[in-house]
Amino acid sequence: MANSFDQTLDVKGAKCPMPLVKSRKAIADLTVGQVLKVVATDRGSVADFQGWAKTAKNVELVAQETEQEGGQDLYVHYLKRTS
Amino acid sequence: MTLIEGQTGIAEFTANELYARILDNEAIFILDVRNEDEFKRSPIEGQSNLTAVNIPYFEFLEDEDGSVARVPADREIMVVCAKEGSSQYVAELLAGHGYNARYLQGGFTSWGNFYDVRDVVNAAWGRIVQIARPARGDLSFAVISDGKMALIDPMRHTEVYLNLAAEAGATMTHLLDTHVHADHISGGPALATITGATYYVHAYDAIHPIDMLPATIAYTSLEDGQQFQVGQTTITVAWFPGHTLGQVNYRLDTPDGRSALFTGDGIFLRSFGRPDLGGKGEAWTPILYRSLTERLPKIVNDDTLILPAHFSTLDEGNAEGIFAAPYSEVRAHNDALKPRSEEEFTAYVLSHLPVFPPEYVEIKRVNIGLVEACDGKANELELGKNICALAG
Repeated sequence: MANSFDQTLDVKGAKCPMPLVKSRKAIADLTVGQVLKVVATDRGSVADFQGWAKTAKNVELVAQETEQEGGQDLYVHYLKRTS
Repeated sequence: MTLIEGQTGIAEFTANELYARILDNEAIFILDVRNEDEFKRSPIEGQSNLTAVNIPYFEFLEDEDGSVARVPADREIMVVCAKEGSSQYVAELLAGHGYNARYLQGGFTSWGNFYDVRDVVNAAWGRIVQIARPARGDLSFAVISDGKMALIDPMRHTEVYLNLAAEAGATMTHLLDTHVHADHISGGPALATITGATYYVHAYDAIHPIDMLPATIAYTSLEDGQQFQVGQTTITVAWFPGHTLGQVNYRLDTPDGRSALFTGDGIFLRSFGRPDLGGKGEAWTPILYRSLTERLPKIVNDDTLILPAHFSTLDEGNAEGIFAAPYSEVRAHNDALKPRSEEEFTAYVLSHLPVFPPEYVEIKRVNIGLVEACDGKANELELGKNICALAG
């Protein structure tokens, strides 16, 4: 089943720490309960978003997926603003 | 704060500088800003004066003041992350709080791929050169004599060996793997393609022990007792099954009457190669026992210099970072080699097996050509230190 989301953030090509820095900013623009879909190409983002969601007080990592686009792996993260 | 990429005023440090300071046992404070799992899997290890603390970079984002307060303000901070960007970010943030902070150029990848090259022996007949990857605990060696060069267990970054050959004015003639490695990708087949030198490995290792599929790489098989001339030296192949079925040792005899033994993952300075990485530990342990008790005494004397393919901790080497010792010393200090009955040996091995890293099965596939690995995949497969020895 596809995950639902309210906003999308494209951080393809961005290197660490930028995917997380930009996601953090985008989350702040959501209302509580809304979900942000983040599309990254940095493989390291998978573990980093898990760690970040544990650390951050207002973020829940709803799901993570890997997709293929033109032979390139995409790492997709769904983040909910919780407070 | 904002990050202006490429316009930071923060200084870098290199893996080369870090290793030199570790060898000198200088006081070093590493702030590792990778996530906790990566830090635990592959910390930067040094000597007694190295302190490494893990505070993931996203903790600095969430709680800047609280995270900064956990970093000592009275000493230089060397910040490390996976690929560089986050360590630069955190070093800059720390500088904004008045800290003296630098970041590792190229991140942990550059530390993992850092090679240290130095002479073990430099004599009238030629040289033995140690080519180490300190972060991985991997060792390879060159024998250079009369303009010829043999490499033992060369690793993935071929330019290191090509540079050494050019600097020594030597031609690579023999590319000698002691076995098909499970923990790192061999540079042997690639160097054979580049230089035309012959790549040698024992045929028993050219079958993947778990997949039971044959190698697709070009190799020349080794025979027990086979000899090679490299300049004024002679290299003799000594079959040493146990860690793998095709594991060999290479004995070097030099014109001054000295000998050295390149043991691969046979014996190490403080341990020996685990017999379970082929997935057949119970069958291979008695084979290893016979190699250690029957074959080893025939190929060493007390003065034979032991040159293994791995170390587990830096203190196995000397102050200059040379990982070699005469057999008399190895025998005296290597608890793993103390006399045991076969039953005692089997019990010892089975109670000292570390975890079996799942990627080791895949690395063996890469090494015999069953799968390919681009640089990115190779860096991931090779992350962290080798786990080829029995646990201490």
